[in-house]
Amino acid sequence: MKAKRADRIATVVFWALGGITVAILAFIILEVLGRGLITALNPRFLFGKPNAMASGGGIFPMIVSTFYLVALTIMISLPIAIGAAIYMAEYARKSKVNSFIRFCLDSLATLPSIVFGLFGLALFVTAFRWSYCLMAGACTLAILNLPILLRSTEEAIKLVPDTYREASMCLGASRWTTIRQVVIPSALPGIITATILPIGRIVGESAAIIYTVGVFIRNVPTNPFDTAAPLAGYIWARQAEHGVPDWRAIVNGGAALLLIMVFIIYFLARYAGRKYQEKKLLGAGTR
Amino acid sequence: MSAPGGGATGLLGAKGARLADRENWIRLVMFGCASVSILSILLIFIFIFKESLPAMRNVGVGNLFFSTNYSPQVGKYGMLGFIWGTLFTTFGAMLIGAPLGIGTAVFLDQVAPERIGRVVRRGIELLAGIPSVVIGWFGLILLVPFLRTVTGTAGFGVFAAVLVLVVMALPTITTLSAETLKSLPLELKEASAAMGATRWQTIYKVLLPSAREGLLIAVILGMGRAIGETMAVQMVIGNARAATFSLFGRTSTLTTRIVTDMAEAPPGDHRSALFAMALVLLLLAMFLIIIIRFVSRERQLSR
Repeated sequence: MKAKRADRIATVVFWALGGITVAILAFIILEVLGRGLITALNPRFLFGKPNAMASGGGIFPMIVSTFYLVALTIMISLPIAIGAAIYMAEYARKSKVNSFIRFCLDSLATLPSIVFGLFGLALFVTAFRWSYCLMAGACTLAILNLPILLRSTEEAIKLVPDTYREASMCLGASRWTTIRQVVIPSALPGIITATILPIGRIVGESAAIIYTVGVFIRNVPTNPFDTAAPLAGYIWARQAEHGVPDWRAIVNGGAALLLIMVFIIYFLARYAGRKYQEKKLLGAGTR
Repeated sequence: MSAPGGGATGLLGAKGARLADRENWIRLVMFGCASVSILSILLIFIFIFKESLPAMRNVGVGNLFFSTNYSPQVGKYGMLGFIWGTLFTTFGAMLIGAPLGIGTAVFLDQVAPERIGRVVRRGIELLAGIPSVVIGWFGLILLVPFLRTVTGTAGFGVFAAVLVLVVMALPTITTLSAETLKSLPLELKEASAAMGATRWQTIYKVLLPSAREGLLIAVILGMGRAIGETMAVQMVIGNARAATFSLFGRTSTLTTRIVTDMAEAPPGDHRSALFAMALVLLLLAMFLIIIIRFVSRERQLSR
């Protein structure tokens, strides 16, 4: 029968499409780790200073720059995201303002990161005269990450059952007291989980930081207004400009390390998310 | 909505008034946080526009946006070739990425056994998290040499860029398509199966047509990723200044030209022209968002 045969062919095709997607991922992971894992795990590479001209340089300041940038960005964007999420979820659930803010957030989410990079260069680096520094990059990335951070924070807040709010209000608590004493504590695990995935994006971001933070340093940055060189941007600059004879090994090792970092963050997010779910289920059972 | 403390003012006097005052202040602070997004998009637009003004004035809007002649050393900054490069690579990527992504979504929703589906889903989430420099480096050391030996061309070029963009846009298209398919009412599938339709007939005649708008939005957002992707494409496209219609021609997109030239462009017309390219990217992104708003309104009306 024709219909049966078409169905069988379609089934094979869909299996093949699913297979292709997984194969692409597996191929990339195996190739990148295969080429760079040995370099990436070498302590002299991990904890060494980079060289401007000679071989044998490490990437320690770049790793520190990446972590520093992540911390600064989250410190700037998380309070704003939580505040905005509270406004959208608790104060203005279905208003015109809410829908306009959502339009702006959607637009921010689709803007290419290079546009953020040039914006950061024009505003923070040039107009504010901050020069290339971690703070300029953190402010840029805070805006870049605001949409996803806000959305997941808002979801965590909305997951708090309305009965909690009603119970608190019935006891005479004001709206803010309810939010502070009831809503935020209940949503906190969800909010923490919500910050993990954006961290992965900050670690991997390069286009938005090469013109705001910098691409090469020799010493570990200490001040937020120091020039720095997060790993992803440094790798890009090394493959573009070479500079040292062993640039290939550095890029291979750096790419493998970047992949490992992103994967650790991903599994951390999954783990935290699952713990949160379990706790919620348990909590619902005992109440 | 009136402030919740408002009703208490009459009952509790001064204390209630203080409380209402505090509630209003807090509401204002929260609104301030929410309006950061409005402020950001405004500031981005203003600064990118302001920085691209000198190029528009000195080079001329026609010579800047509608010319393919780009030779900074003689003061020509026509970006039409790069706009074409962006559109060419993006549509090429969608030609491969849309069927692959939607097909994978159907596989996840309809065909795959639960355990395999879960593994594939995790894999796609992981793929979404791989930094673009890593994918670009993978393209540079593997894809480009491979294309070089297979096609006898330089390896660098539009096709390599298209393949890299497929990888970058695939997670977006697959995840959003799978969500749309999952949100379809179960009765649709059951009714179709009850009438004796095979699985393929159900997918082709019932599921895909009813998910049309959602799938379109998934592909448009995938386009958004492809248009904005910078580093990965810059590493494989060849970075030539000429526009090309050939699938194996070396060229540039808007994003890659910005990155390639920025380091050598001193403040002046050249740098300003690069900001004008960012302005075009910004407008393209806004255009996509407006289309999505339009499509999702259609979807709500048709329900």
